[in-house]
Amino acid sequence: MKLGWDSEHELFRSELVSFLQTHAPPEALGGRDLIGTDTGDIPQWARRWQAELFDNGWMVPAYPPELGGRDADPLECLIYAEELGRRGIPRSVHFGGYAIVGPSLLEFGSEDQKAMAPAAIRGDTIWCVGMSEPDAGSDLANLSTSAVSDGDSFVVNGQKVWTSYALHAEQCFCYVRTDPDAPRHKGISVLTVAMDTPGVTVRPLRHITGSAEFAEVFFDDVLVPVENLVGELHGGWRITMGSLAHERGGLWVDGVASAERAISDLVELSISLGRGSDPVLRRQLTELYVEVQSLRALGYKGFASFAQGSSAPEHSYMKLASSELRQRLYETGMDIQGSFGSITDDAVAVEAGRWQHSWQVSLAATIGGGTSEIQRNVVASRVLGLPRG
Amino acid sequence: MDFSLTPEQEMLRDTASALFSREFPSSLVRDACYDPVTGGASAAEAAFDRHLRPWISMGDESVVDQCLFMEEAGAAITTAPLWSSSALALPVLRAVNHPDADRVADGSLTATVALAGSAGEWRANGDVLKVLVTDFGLVDIVVFVDADGESVDSGGEAHVWVVPAGDLQARVVENMDLARPLAEVTRRPPGDDQPLTITEGDLGSVLERATVVLAAEMVGTARWLKETTIEYVSTREQFGKPVGSFQGLQWKLVDASLELEKAGAAVYYAAMCIDADDPDRHRATHVAKSAAGATARRWAKDAMQAHGGIGYTWEHDLHLYLRRANAADRLLGDSAWHMEQLALDLFQSQGQRV
Ligand SMILES: Cc1cc2nc3c(=O)[nH]c(=O)nc-3n(C[C@H](O)[C@H](O)[C@H](O)COP(=O)(O)OP(=O)(O)OC[C@H]3O[C@@H](n4cnc5c(N)ncnc54)[C@H](O)[C@@H]3O)c2cc1C
Repeated sequence: MKLGWDSEHELFRSELVSFLQTHAPPEALGGRDLIGTDTGDIPQWARRWQAELFDNGWMVPAYPPELGGRDADPLECLIYAEELGRRGIPRSVHFGGYAIVGPSLLEFGSEDQKAMAPAAIRGDTIWCVGMSEPDAGSDLANLSTSAVSDGDSFVVNGQKVWTSYALHAEQCFCYVRTDPDAPRHKGISVLTVAMDTPGVTVRPLRHITGSAEFAEVFFDDVLVPVENLVGELHGGWRITMGSLAHERGGLWVDGVASAERAISDLVELSISLGRGSDPVLRRQLTELYVEVQSLRALGYKGFASFAQGSSAPEHSYMKLASSELRQRLYETGMDIQGSFGSITDDAVAVEAGRWQHSWQVSLAATIGGGTSEIQRNVVASRVLGLPRG
Repeated sequence: MDFSLTPEQEMLRDTASALFSREFPSSLVRDACYDPVTGGASAAEAAFDRHLRPWISMGDESVVDQCLFMEEAGAAITTAPLWSSSALALPVLRAVNHPDADRVADGSLTATVALAGSAGEWRANGDVLKVLVTDFGLVDIVVFVDADGESVDSGGEAHVWVVPAGDLQARVVENMDLARPLAEVTRRPPGDDQPLTITEGDLGSVLERATVVLAAEMVGTARWLKETTIEYVSTREQFGKPVGSFQGLQWKLVDASLELEKAGAAVYYAAMCIDADDPDRHRATHVAKSAAGATARRWAKDAMQAHGGIGYTWEHDLHLYLRRANAADRLLGDSAWHMEQLALDLFQSQGQRV
């Protein structure tokens, strides 16, 4: 155990930092926690920024240059996540394309599909990920959108819901049931579906914040060429969630970094509101600080096992802990404002209502991508080895 | 301590419950405030005129009765100056024998109070700009409570006068709860209205009523969240069974329910104390407000979590309640403020004993 990394890796860091300092657009700075989780549209600056990262090998550093990377090793990937996280700089405002679709196409796709990956990672093609359905949320294997093959095409019927970015997407990475008679996990396949195919209808849904970030997607006798099958027929269950294997060791950094940023902002906020010597508040913030710092240490500890190729149970805790912590941090940001804690008015509210907004956004963090209850179930069975109920 | 309701009180509660569920569907507040449509605001106004104006006089009744009524109000999200007129302004006007009090009580004038200054405390102060003025934009008159630029210590006095809302310079300040607007209002001299005086002690007592009634409203808000959640998790199935059958959810809901039950009881205890002018009324008010605020906020979060994705949508009513719970908790003193008052009181009497 030692603090800090070797000079070779620190060189990587300084190269990255100077790139960020000279290239990051002003819109990407400032650590507003809404970016990436609450944008109703995909702004031009974000499209340009993603492409710029890709072209300079800074989009997914573990990948080779033709995929937007620079063959970085796991530690370099961690450093990358640290530096972006520390500055609150998003790579992309839509994670589906680079974090889920691109990697899955590369791992499971045909040659033609692999060729679609660079555009997905660069953000030239906007993808949505169609997993959840009205009756298949936590229980994804219950999905019922059907795809029936007639030889040349699949005929797709059904509905997806809460599909992020569906309103803007050109392609959907769509989980469908291809064998209704097989055991639940064995009858699922993945298709790529062009969103402009006749029979695809998108009905926007708004978040509680009012932004139309997600949507319902309806499939009504949609004809999808058989070549659009990703991986094996009925083998879709394997293709679940982000396959950024190289980055898995460092994905937690973002949550911890934004929590660290929030703490120092909260301290500043307390002082600026004249509450810097309020003992109750000081205690609350120091308790949060202790949590963030120990969580951070846990993340690095997990990274050590990850880098040595063993599984890191620590990582199963990270999403659970950091999403719940984030909610508490933002709520504290509202509470510090006392009577004015519910004021959202741009012109009057502290930091234009940042804390109120971020808190509302953070409420989704314990639901999307597997609820906190499901995370706890996963830890119980996979980490603690408890028997299943 | 007898928590049993008289037949009249049961009837009052049932009447209120039926009234709010029948006449105040969430579409009313959505059309008026959340997704405004033409005619939306006037429909909400008409519903208030027809169904709620007659109830403003509850501010002259016992606090327990008013709490029973307002708990039902809290289970529906309305955009109406009901609490402001009946629990806040009317008692202030009564306390100073203001001639407008009768017209507020009989429903012909709606009113709110401008009191909090830049510090956001509901205490008499001399600030020219009054903030957190509830329901401004929905009311006919504003009751100013002001200390003429001097700070009012215990035993001090404040002035009370009324100005028609239309004569005031004001700015609506957006808050999370779009259905209960807040405004900044610039103090205007009394004009024709002769200022009356109120001692700080009396003002405090009057505000206790408003505080406990607001707490009752929050209990109603929490109760809606609880009932809606229990109903949802009992029918929503995942993994082949209702999600409410998973203990991971059950225990969360049990703990939150315990909190709600305690808060509800604390609110009616405080209401009884105020009605009886019991010496415990001050502490009981702080307990009621902080407990009710905490339970409403907790239920908002837990309800969201238990609903999963569907609860995170604008289309679902949950966020209307989430917004109301979080805004109401911060009116008339947030939890931290009430705790602080309690601490002062607890440690002061401890000091005397020693
Ligand atoms: C902002 C946002 C963006 C999203 N984007 C996408 C997207 O792009 N693509 C996509 O496919 N989906 C997306 N989703 C959907 C998300 O994946 C689901 O909401 C999530 O998986 C939960 O499913 P559900 O909403 O059906 O909740 P349910 O599964 O119905 O859960 C309801 C409640 O029951 C609990 N519960 C369920 N099962 C258990 C259990 N076994 N033990 C204990 N408790 C349990 C849950 O924790 C929750 O509290 C998004 C959701 C949100 C909020």
